[in-house]
Amino acid sequence: MNIFTERYKEMGEEIEFVKLRKAIRVNTKKISPEKLQVRLEKKHVEMERIPFVKNGFWVKAKFNLVSTPEYLLGLFYFQEAAAQIPVEVLNPIALTLDCCAAPGGKTTQIAEYAPVIAVESDKERFVILENNMERLGLRNCIAYLMDLRDVDKKFSSILLDAPCSGNYMLEDNWMQKNSLKRIQERAEKQKELLAHALSLLEKDGTLVYSTCSIEPEENEFVIQFALDHFPVKVEKINCIGDPGLTKIFERKLDPSIANCRRLWPHKTNTIGFFIARLRKC
Amino acid sequence: MLADFAAKFTKEEIPFKKLGNKFFLEDKNLEKIKLKQKEKYFGIFLGEEKEDTFIPSFVFLEWLAERSEEKVFVKDIGEIDFLYGKTLRSRHIDHVEGETKIGFLKLVQNIHGENLGYGKIIGDFTKTEQVIKPKLDRGLFLKREKKLKREEEKA
Repeated sequence: MNIFTERYKEMGEEIEFVKLRKAIRVNTKKISPEKLQVRLEKKHVEMERIPFVKNGFWVKAKFNLVSTPEYLLGLFYFQEAAAQIPVEVLNPIALTLDCCAAPGGKTTQIAEYAPVIAVESDKERFVILENNMERLGLRNCIAYLMDLRDVDKKFSSILLDAPCSGNYMLEDNWMQKNSLKRIQERAEKQKELLAHALSLLEKDGTLVYSTCSIEPEENEFVIQFALDHFPVKVEKINCIGDPGLTKIFERKLDPSIANCRRLWPHKTNTIGFFIARLRKC
Repeated sequence: MLADFAAKFTKEEIPFKKLGNKFFLEDKNLEKIKLKQKEKYFGIFLGEEKEDTFIPSFVFLEWLAERSEEKVFVKDIGEIDFLYGKTLRSRHIDHVEGETKIGFLKLVQNIHGENLGYGKIIGDFTKTEQVIKPKLDRGLFLKREKKLKREEEKA
């Protein structure tokens, strides 16, 4: 048995590989979900509303949707169902900082509701972000190619969708390719990013932390680190998934970490995901 | 450069700022919220300068379409052809607004009024077969994404 499956067992989960459904998010700046549904169904695309997000559909077609005028017009964005949740949990209504913005799925989602300051440190990924901002027709985003640590402005709303080790649903042979050392290295980077992001958060401001990892080191332990070092509280969020773990690998964590959500692929039929909403006290 | 291009579609002045070789629409509200560092992308992306030529962005073409009468509306079949870089024929055209003389530039819209790109009039809409030659179409996103994917795989 692989070390990761053993660990998941220790977390009380017998994992299974599930067949992921292709998901899109409607760009409501350009079209309503209802209108897009009519247009794509006319082209024989099977559409099913994703019940746990506002503007998402599972889609099925005999052709590649990338070649449709609707895609090229930026009427939708391919975004896994779970990845559509963090911005909804953040509920941006004011200027929002998107800390690790590329490829731009969440940036373009935030921009539907509020102006965005998007920060990305990787030059190649920044080009992808620019391309997506143009395709989706963004008009209220300012993007920076720089390290998050260079940002020194305060925000009331921050999204930190942190770079992570991913999960076994995202990559073939993920379990063989990854190691606890790699997970630990990622976790250190995540703590560093979160620490800086929290230093940019105004009092009473909201920060959503998310990853597509299901490893506690990259999730619950990072949130515990935030609770230990910053005046923040973990807010209860209302979305699919299980409560965050509060007792794991012989560590007892703050009970409020149960307010986070952890999405197990075999339970939610999505990729693995973790979401936490922090409020600065 | 940018002004010459915009003048083909609107009399409105376009206040812009340049970041590297890219042009962005001036926006006082966005200026107030930006960081002190130099941004790379700012609000409405207007286009870029490449080898002394102005290449408009698709956001700019959308923005112009909200202000311009120089538009040609194409039927579904024309929409696909245009996005694949094909010259539009008179049977593709639903209707034309503004100038119809050969040589003029037109914003190309689908029947939903969404901008697909722009092209140049090359024939008489009532007589000739070929009427609009594409200058820039949104099919470019496919080419860009394929290129980015190749580069990512290489890396």
